[in-house]
Amino acid sequence: MNPTLTVLLYSSIAAAAASLGALPLRVRGVMPTAWIGWANALAAGLMLGTAYVIVVAGLNRMVLAGASGAFLGIGFIYWTHLIARTEDLDLNRLDQTGPEYGYQVLLVQSLHSASEGVAIGAAMSLNIALGVFAALAFAVHNIPEATVLCTVLRARRIRLRDAAGLAVLTNVSLVLLSIVTFSLIMAAPSLLPWALGFAMGALVYLVMMEPLPESYRQAGNTSIALVTSVAMGMVVLLKAFLL
Amino acid sequence: MHPVILVFIYGSLTALATGIGALPFLFVRTISPRGVAYANAIASGLMLGACFGLLLEGTESGTWGTIIGANLGVLFILATQRILEHHNVHFGSIGRGGSRRTLLMIVVMTVHSFSEGVAVGTSFGGGMSLAVLITASIAVHNIPEGLAISAVLRPQGVSVAGCAGWSIFSSLPQPLMAVPAYLLVDTFTTFLPYGIGFAAGAMVLMVFLELLPEAYQRARKPRVALLVSISLAGMIVFQRFL
Repeated sequence: MNPTLTVLLYSSIAAAAASLGALPLRVRGVMPTAWIGWANALAAGLMLGTAYVIVVAGLNRMVLAGASGAFLGIGFIYWTHLIARTEDLDLNRLDQTGPEYGYQVLLVQSLHSASEGVAIGAAMSLNIALGVFAALAFAVHNIPEATVLCTVLRARRIRLRDAAGLAVLTNVSLVLLSIVTFSLIMAAPSLLPWALGFAMGALVYLVMMEPLPESYRQAGNTSIALVTSVAMGMVVLLKAFLL
Repeated sequence: MHPVILVFIYGSLTALATGIGALPFLFVRTISPRGVAYANAIASGLMLGACFGLLLEGTESGTWGTIIGANLGVLFILATQRILEHHNVHFGSIGRGGSRRTLLMIVVMTVHSFSEGVAVGTSFGGGMSLAVLITASIAVHNIPEGLAISAVLRPQGVSVAGCAGWSIFSSLPQPLMAVPAYLLVDTFTTFLPYGIGFAAGAMVLMVFLELLPEAYQRARKPRVALLVSISLAGMIVFQRFL
């Protein structure tokens, strides 16, 4: 298959997987707060594990370019949040029904997915198997992430079907960025260490900023620490066996 | 000089290097509650970065051993935390929650030094130049680890000399493990992935269980995220270059 099509296919799978996040709400109706916390922790651990896979794969590339890329990635997310005034936004408020809040959550989520797209694109251009692995890891990560998003959207009286659709829509940026990143690196291979570094920095920053902080309040330190560590360990383990 | 003595001396040098990590705190006079959060965030980033390195090394030398070790490491921290909670520990003049965190930090970092000591000892089997290289790189790795320990201890009121002392203490298993590892290379190489996995599991859980929740409680999350991600990236670059 044409490599660009492979990127399109797998990033679309990652984006589409977000719709599965609505299933727990379909079954349970209302999510207990602790479950939201665990979903957040699961998403955080899977994301951190994927960041590990990308770092390890890119370690032998130019260290300086990779490090500079990481600082760019961290700086990029930091500044966009600062400009959008969303840096302190609590993404899990169920009592906040103002119209502005809804748009902010969707914007933050799209920005989040964009970084995942850069990660998939960079991983794909390093080697296709790695890229497929990263895309599928993000697909699984997107499910608990979408569960949390759908819970917030449901609290705003949005129909479950529409909430699932919105969750997939926030991942359109993932598909776009993965293809753009992949094509850019194919055209200019020296961008690869920069892109790998950017993805790694942005992913770690986002983990620490978005799913993790709220989760501790929702479910308690011990269970969050366990779920996060185990989820991260699963990705590390699968990488060791598969790649 | 007898090789065993040489191994012991090299192991001791790597332990002493850990104390250097306390030195930056000579320049920081007072630490506010927010400073505690920032220090915790930096320690988290450094430890997660170190774990990335450990996990790579472990899974390359034995995936199953690493997995089993990591699970044991996680259980070890949970058990230690429970025990410390039950016994109402006091560490110097530090309050109860702080005492638990301080002790856990020292225990975690001390336990994780065992596998580093094994690395020093077994490296002498591969010739002198390799041994010097590995010892030097472990000594350098120890500096940010000392920084991580001091970042947790110093805000609790431990003196800079105390921070350096506990940092060196946490690395004492290095000379102690280096000697038997040198004498029984084959046995120790078999168990190395377990040790590495144990260290990684214990450190990751320590970060998510004790350090990060504390950081989020006392500081704004963008700051925490910024410090964790920058120190994680810094640790990876540091380990790669040296």
